[in-house]
Amino acid sequence: MRIAIVMVAAVLSSAWAQEIKLPPAFDKLAAKAQETVDVTLDSNMLQLAGKFLSDKDADQAKAKQIVAGLKGITVRTFEFAKEGEYSMADMDALREQLKAPAWSRIVGVTSKTENTEIYLKQSEGSRIGGMVIINAEPKELTIVSLSGTISVDDLSALGGQFGIPKVDAPKSKGKEEE
Amino acid sequence: MSRLDDALRDALRREAPPEGFAERVMARIQAAPEAVGGWAKWLNAFRRPQLRWATALAAVALAVGTAEVRSEMQRRAEGERARDQVMLALRITGGKLQMTREMVRRIGYARREQ
Repeated sequence: MRIAIVMVAAVLSSAWAQEIKLPPAFDKLAAKAQETVDVTLDSNMLQLAGKFLSDKDADQAKAKQIVAGLKGITVRTFEFAKEGEYSMADMDALREQLKAPAWSRIVGVTSKTENTEIYLKQSEGSRIGGMVIINAEPKELTIVSLSGTISVDDLSALGGQFGIPKVDAPKSKGKEEE
Repeated sequence: MSRLDDALRDALRREAPPEGFAERVMARIQAAPEAVGGWAKWLNAFRRPQLRWATALAAVALAVGTAEVRSEMQRRAEGERARDQVMLALRITGGKLQMTREMVRRIGYARREQ
């Protein structure tokens, strides 16, 4: 019984400690894409970046605060010339890594034109251990992975800062909410 | 005529040099300062051991200083690039979160209207 508990704990701890790995299919997508954004920053680079983020600039000061708790940032954006250049199956290898108990999908929004999923990694208290956003549009695919601790306040600050104006609630209709 | 011959013979007769003459001449030659030009004089200054060490130290300090400055410039460039990447990544993240929030709100409004 004890051995079983230790084994389960070991499996769980490895799942918690795991970093998100982008599937190799993404390299093929990059070749098809018209434009790509590829940002990969590990903890060393984040520490270095933190030293160059100014406290005088509001956006940079907020970024500095967020970056302080992060261990890694990965962002991939692919913009395609036409629709159908990628399939949702390309994301399956990524979704496989975002499973309970470590990860939970907090948002899944599907409309005619786009599909967005937000996954959060559980952590202690009000802090979040990581976040993954998968945003799929007909001609654009975006994957964001933040690993490390993020506070709920930081998360709230992210939407509505960094040069992005806060948007008031729109009146048009959506399709589905999860 | 023979008196003149005798006088010449007397004046030009071989005479042995005084004792130590050759040594004294050689010593004077060695002691005499060399006639050196501007560049040679400048280079000669480096023959002094103290100056040679000082030059070597200055060269090492210059090399270390240059490497340090270059490394600092490289570090700064890397830091600024990392900062720009962080800002870009957070802008994209913020944009996607904002968009998702907008979609969720839109759905919420739609449900309330129904």
